[in-house]
This record gives sequence, C-alpha cells and structure tokens, in this order.
Amino acid sequence: MTAFSSFLFNYLNGVTANVYEPVSVATRAAEVWAHEPWLAIGWLALGMAVMLGFLVVIGMGLIYGERKIAGHFQCRLGPMRVGWHGLLQVIADTLKLLVKEDVVPAKADKVLHVLAPVLAIMATLLALAIVPATPWFQLIDVNIGVIYVTAVGSIGVLGVLIGGWSSNNKWSLLGAMRAGAQIISYEVSATLALLIIVLFAGSLQLSTIVESQADGWWIWRSHLAGIVAFFTFLIASTAELNRTPFDLPEGESELTAGFHTEYSGMRFAFFFLAEFINMFVASAIAATLFLGGWMPFQIAGLDGFNAVMQAIPPGVWFAVKTGGLIFLLMWFRWTFPRLRIDQLMGLEWKFLLPVGFVNLLFAAVLILMGWYFAPIPA
Amino acid sequence: MTETITTALFYIFAASAVLLAFALVLTRRILRAAVWLMGVLFCSAAFYVLLGAEFLAGIQVLVYIGGIVVLLVFAIMLTSSFELLDDHPSALRRILGILTAGGFFAVTALALLSTKFPVKAYHGEAISDVEKIGKSLLNYGPGGYVLPFEVISVLLLAALIGGIVVARKVLVKDPEAKS
Repeated sequence: MTAFSSFLFNYLNGVTANVYEPVSVATRAAEVWAHEPWLAIGWLALGMAVMLGFLVVIGMGLIYGERKIAGHFQCRLGPMRVGWHGLLQVIADTLKLLVKEDVVPAKADKVLHVLAPVLAIMATLLALAIVPATPWFQLIDVNIGVIYVTAVGSIGVLGVLIGGWSSNNKWSLLGAMRAGAQIISYEVSATLALLIIVLFAGSLQLSTIVESQADGWWIWRSHLAGIVAFFTFLIASTAELNRTPFDLPEGESELTAGFHTEYSGMRFAFFFLAEFINMFVASAIAATLFLGGWMPFQIAGLDGFNAVMQAIPPGVWFAVKTGGLIFLLMWFRWTFPRLRIDQLMGLEWKFLLPVGFVNLLFAAVLILMGWYFAPIPA
Repeated sequence: MTETITTALFYIFAASAVLLAFALVLTRRILRAAVWLMGVLFCSAAFYVLLGAEFLAGIQVLVYIGGIVVLLVFAIMLTSSFELLDDHPSALRRILGILTAGGFFAVTALALLSTKFPVKAYHGEAISDVEKIGKSLLNYGPGGYVLPFEVISVLLLAALIGGIVVARKVLVKDPEAKS
C-alpha cells in the first residue's frame, strides 16, 4: 500500500508542480518486486489489462473515426443509424465479426493460417506497450526503445506474409508479396528518419527522448533535418501501414482484398484491428520523437504562455498530437490517388532513401558542430 | 525469488528452442520450417535479454527475424517448390546429404567437447550501453573492433553488388544472339 500512496503523492505533486518523473509500469513492478511481489504482479496485471482495454477502445475509436471522417470528406454523414450519430455502429460490427463463422480454406496450411493473425496482433500489442502516453502510462520502457519498435514491427510483416501464403489463394499470395515488399522497403527510410532523432537526443530510450524535448520539440530545434525526417517518417509509415496512396497490397480492383481475402470472423478482426492500432502506434511514435510526446509546447522567454501550456495535462498533449497525426493519415487517403507499383518502389529507393542518407549526414554534421537550437544543459 | 524466475524462464526458452529446432528440421513443409526458425531465433533473443544484453536481443530480432526469415519466406514464395512433400531425392543425393549432416555434426560435437566454457559470475548489472558498444566498434586502439567492423561492411557491400549483378536484367541487343 505504501508504494501506491507514494505513487499517488508523486502524481498529485507532479500535476501541481509540473515536474514529472517518467516511470513505466514495468519499472514500478521491478521496484517493489523484492519486498512486495504480489504488488508487483498486481502492477503487471493492471498494466496488461489496461493495455488490452486500450487496444479495443483505440481500435473501435479509430474505425469509427475513419468511417466518419471518410463520410464527411465525401459530403456524406457516415454511420448515423445505430446509436447517437452512429456511435454504436462499431460495437454492432464487432459483435457481428466475432460471431461469424471462421472459415479455413480447404487446402490451406491450417496451422499457419491460424498463426498468422496472432503474429500480427502480437507485434501490434508489443509495439503498443512501449508508447509513452503520459509519464505514468507506459507499460515498458526498455533502454533500446527505438530498436524495439522497429524489431517488433518486423514480426508483423511475417504475420502478413504467412497469412497470405497459407490461404492457398493467388490473390492472397500476391497481396502478401506486395505488402511484404512494400513494408520492408519503406522500413529502411522510416528507421533512417528515427535514427536522426536518436542522434539528436543521444538515446534510444523513448522516455529519455521525450525528456530531451522539454525546451523544444526536435522538429523545430534540429533546423531542416528534423522537418525532413518527420516528413520522411510520415510518408514511410503511411506506406508501412498499407494506407491509401500506398494501398496496393489491398488494391480491391486487382486483388480482391489482398492478403486477408480468405480470412473471416475473429481472425479477420485480428488483422483489421492490428492495422488500425498500427496506425495509432506509428502516429504515437512520430509524435513522441518529433513532436515532443507528452511535453507541452514551450517558447523560451514567454513565461506566462509557458505556464498556461504546462497547465494542460500531458495526456491531453499526447492525445492531441497523436490524434492530429492520425487525422493527417486519414486525410491522405482522400487526397492522393493510389500509386503504381513501379512508382511506389521508385519513390522509396530513388527518392526517400537518398534523401534519408543525406539527411542523416547533415544531422551528424549539425550535432558535431552544435548547430541546433536550444541545446539542453547537460 | 528473482533468480528462480530467471532460471525458470531460461529453461522454458531453452526447451522451446530445442523443440522448435527439432520441428524445424523434421517438418516437410518448407514454409513451416521458416516459421519454426523464427521461433528458434526469438528464443535466442530471449536468452540475450536474460543475459542483460538487450541491444543484442533487439538487433537479433531486427536482423534475423525481420531480415533473414522474411527473406527466406520471400524466397519460398517466389520459387514454386512450396511443398517438399512429394520430393523423392535420388540415392546419391541422400548419401551426400547424410555425409554432409554427419560431418557437420561431428565437427560441432568435437568443437563443443574440446572447448572449456569458463562461466563468469554474472554481476547483475546489464552491459547494454549502446554508446559503449558504438565506441568500441569504432575504436582503432587495442581492444577495438574497427578492423572487423570495416571488413564486414566491405563484405556486405560486395554481397550487395553481387546480388544486383546476379539479379539484373541482361539486355540482349541482338535478337539473333539470343537464339
């Protein structure tokens, strides 16, 4: 109980004085492990339960948002019938998906067919666990944060590839090949963009990267390098998410539905949920690395303005930044037409990758010379 | 308590690594073999975590699962031999296979039996400082690793160029020369 009361005390203290000490749930559990093992297990169980709830709530919220935003972009209303402004539509759809029959194609590899969606959702959950939403709400805070995010993402690719292959359907196979090729190509650019912020912050740990942005977000402070890296990451992660300008893996006029053509019921729901949560994770990582995560917007010298900004709780900052990026991704969908496969590969290998390398070199020079704004006092 | 759990975790991962390795070599479906290989690699990443080398574990997952296994799966998908079930190798191929496997087993067993593994006491603190790893990789003084690092990067570059040369389309200028 003492640990909990001290946590509450620190929380209230942090809110009033705006001095937060980021502690992940896993660290909290490790601290009390020696003398109060049950409390530690309680922390972990609570963290996992919250994470599951988070997964479902964010998934449903994003699906509703996508349908509503898509509707309004096309001068429609979107779902309106079930509940107030269609709020319960997603719940109805989820129930429908969960009670649908689970079909495994006759000559498919059953083991792999069942395993693939599990791999996809597992990778997504693991990535979600590291997102630092607020100083107190981060499940794990490993010291190799950025590498962890990239590594876990690569397990998701395997889920897609195996799912497409094990369906025993040529459209699924083609869709999976396209998705896999696209994801591993654009992963290079996304990682290069993340590396630039790692260079500036001098750490791979996400909480440290957020803290390094107390005086200003890296997108402003790193001159051009941060802005270029931000847009590179945004484009690359849109491609990694198979979202619209890059949605060739699911090009319905060519491939039915891509790698998940043969999936139905719960397993399809897993793929679908993983895709939407991946969008959240990508936006959250972009917000954390480039836009300061839960750090408020600060302008050096304007103390009154800074005080007002600090009064807004960090959770709200994080939600606003991540939500804005998600809206941007949804906006992309109704703005850009789908690329051709050669344009897709050309964009990555002939444009984004060279830009990424030059940018990395540029950032290294900036850091060596100390030419970035508001360096943090060590 | 902590030690008990760490030991239990080690045995769980060790047992699953061995089981997955058996499944990997005994399965007749080549894509399943790739998936079990992924499991084995994941278990070895877990060992690195247990040893306190998180950076190495991350790189293991990133390079081996995200790179090598994905590449394997791609290769399987691109080639038509996606089922090994109907494959009846000839007698010569069988003998050669048995010889190769036996030779490899003998060499591995000899190497394992003739090596002494000095178990260093584990001091608890994780040695996963990325900055230290980076500095020792680029250190050209004594105990530095800059030479192997550079040699490996040249090797990778050569492999990359080789891959492009092998995969590139050869433009046939004279249509007569093709036939």
